[in-house]
Amino acid sequence: MANEVVMFKKIFKKLKEVELKEKGFEKRYPLKRVSAFEKKEEFKKIFLEQGERNLELMQKIPNRAKNMAYFDEIWKLEKRVKEIEDFRKAGGKVIGTFCNFVPEELIYAAGCLPIRICAGFYETIEIAEEILAKDICPLIKSSFGFKLVELPYFSLCDLVIIPTSCDGKKKLGEILSDYLEVWPLELPNTKDSSQSKEFWFQEIKIFKKRLEKLSGNEITFSKLKKAIELCHLRQVVFHRFDEIRQSTNPLISGRDALLVTQVSFFDDLRRWTEKTKKLCQELTENIKKNLGIYPAQTPRLLLTGSPIIWPNYKFLNIIEEFGGIVVGDTFCSGTQHLYNPVEIDEWVMEEMLKAIAERYLLPSICPCFIESNDRIDNLLQMVKDFKIDGVIYHQLRLCQLYDLEFYKVKQILNRENIPLLRIQTDYSQEDIEQIKTRVEAFLEMIKSKKYEFY
Amino acid sequence: MNSIEKKSQIVAGIDVGSAMTKVAILETKEIIAQAMSPTLADPRLAVKLALEKALQEVNLSQNDLGFIVTTGYGRRAVEFGNQVITEITANAKGARFLGSPLGQVRTVIDLGAQDSKVIKLNENGEVIDFIMNEKCAAGTGRFLEVMAKTLDIKFEDLGEFSLKSKNPVKINATCTVFAESEVISLIVQKKKREDILAGLHHVIAKKIADLARAVTPKEVVFFDGGGAKNIGIKRSLEEELGLKIYVPEEPQFVIALGAALIASELLHANARS
Ligand code: SF4
Ligand code: SF4
Repeated sequence: MANEVVMFKKIFKKLKEVELKEKGFEKRYPLKRVSAFEKKEEFKKIFLEQGERNLELMQKIPNRAKNMAYFDEIWKLEKRVKEIEDFRKAGGKVIGTFCNFVPEELIYAAGCLPIRICAGFYETIEIAEEILAKDICPLIKSSFGFKLVELPYFSLCDLVIIPTSCDGKKKLGEILSDYLEVWPLELPNTKDSSQSKEFWFQEIKIFKKRLEKLSGNEITFSKLKKAIELCHLRQVVFHRFDEIRQSTNPLISGRDALLVTQVSFFDDLRRWTEKTKKLCQELTENIKKNLGIYPAQTPRLLLTGSPIIWPNYKFLNIIEEFGGIVVGDTFCSGTQHLYNPVEIDEWVMEEMLKAIAERYLLPSICPCFIESNDRIDNLLQMVKDFKIDGVIYHQLRLCQLYDLEFYKVKQILNRENIPLLRIQTDYSQEDIEQIKTRVEAFLEMIKSKKYEFY
Repeated sequence: MNSIEKKSQIVAGIDVGSAMTKVAILETKEIIAQAMSPTLADPRLAVKLALEKALQEVNLSQNDLGFIVTTGYGRRAVEFGNQVITEITANAKGARFLGSPLGQVRTVIDLGAQDSKVIKLNENGEVIDFIMNEKCAAGTGRFLEVMAKTLDIKFEDLGEFSLKSKNPVKINATCTVFAESEVISLIVQKKKREDILAGLHHVIAKKIADLARAVTPKEVVFFDGGGAKNIGIKRSLEEELGLKIYVPEEPQFVIALGAALIASELLHANARS
């Protein structure tokens, strides 16, 4: 009996060791890198042009908040790239992340800089297709392409962390590992079972250790506390921002709101918080002055589905140029990215780590988990809070997860009599006319319901 | 009636489709003229020709029109319209207005040259859902046009011709290009043309039915667009969906009519305000 206990303990210890092993890709079969580096300047130019084209439209919106000027400038690479280069020269490590599962608090606490590198740029897709399968979603191809042409911000990353979310992301890691260091962050398939939570908690602990090793900085209690507080402050400001969008007098376009959110992917944390706070103050003033950007009866839309990422705002441009306004979204590249703060019950290391683990797992509505109920809850709640007239389901072609979740979402929204339009598209411009017709018809349908017209 | 009053009563709906541009002219919700012209490469010219033709019928000029609504894929190519509306809204409007002797219209299926669409209406005739075909040409009029050429049958005769079929051939391909080569090999195998044609109608009907199922269609189905003139497709579609289908007398004008009806509503709304 005693023997068995000893043996059991041994096995258990062994298991623990295995569990805590750092995950990575061994270079058993290294492959030659393909590089399109020479084309960098060309791509950069097109990237900036596309952004400019969006901005031209966005800047024409009447009563647009003056404080948007900061965000209009900062995405233009130059300034921020320089800052990050300086940060690296001083020995700082830049960590590229995918999805919204990678705890930024820990990265900041280790003195490193997180940058989300999910991309929305059409031009880098083709070169990525030389390596990646053609039949995967444009987001993954586009992001990988950034590495091939060494475009910022991917080019500035010392390593990349890829959560094992959807299949495309899972397999991207191994391919990328020939180009730079990649850490997979292993997600459970469910969120709320105790095994899942425990598994994820271990994963976060390993992550912390690795960060310490990488940066040479210990993540101390006070550093982590500071980082949690800084991110918390950002989230508080973001909450205010989100709340403002609930106003029945539309004050900010969906495009501007998404741009603000996506600038946070790479911007300086404190500065972003400061600038967004200012923007919120201006918008609050605008409420009092009744300075809406669109007429109050403009159909209010909620976007859900696959992420939309700058500069691929074609879909948003169509919606808002044709008389709708996007007042909310459930995108991991939008509201979901910044919505949830880490909530600490007890300021001790273990509890802080637990709270971080929870913040990045439990509120997620990513379709990579086996159930879609949380996403549906979120949708229905937002429809109420944001006084939504219709939901648009944006589905990137070849994104199977969102495709699969559509059926249930549709049935539920139908049952609740919430108008729903699905648009299947990618990053190319070729289907713009078709999308226009569908979106316009959807807006007409809403208007006729709202005003008994047509 | 003096001319100003007369003008305020007359409106036009212009449906700039990918193949045909159609015009309907209404006077107090009564169709007084309609005409069409091929859109070809110049939608503006097509609009001009179709509109002139229709106006000539009733001895009017463009100045007599109190309100013009444009719709269809080239809806923005017309500079002189007063309002642009999508073909979905216009189609629903037209179908609701015409109605069906088989009962209340709850679904509209439109088979156009380059796209097909399905619109779902509630008990009040309001649009509650709609769906349009994806990029490819399968399940649209274009598909049949290509096949008519391959089979050497006049496009207008396709419907009647297919009714002769006793043994429809099963056709597997739905892609226009693949279906064409499949048809050619069937011709080589000496299959009867009417049987091949019936098989093709079945392919289209199946495509449209698949599209329709996404919005769970209900009876009565109002079937319009140029494609609805083809009796073969109507029958296959009925079989495929298991629902009663009604085809109006001039199915290709329903959207233009709907646009004109909206024009007359907007005219009155403007007059009131
Ligand atoms: S939806 Fe999920 S898997 Fe897809 S990019 Fe967002 S977080 Fe990642
Ligand atoms: S859009 Fe879909 S397929 Fe693409 S990364 Fe996100 S979840 Fe994965």
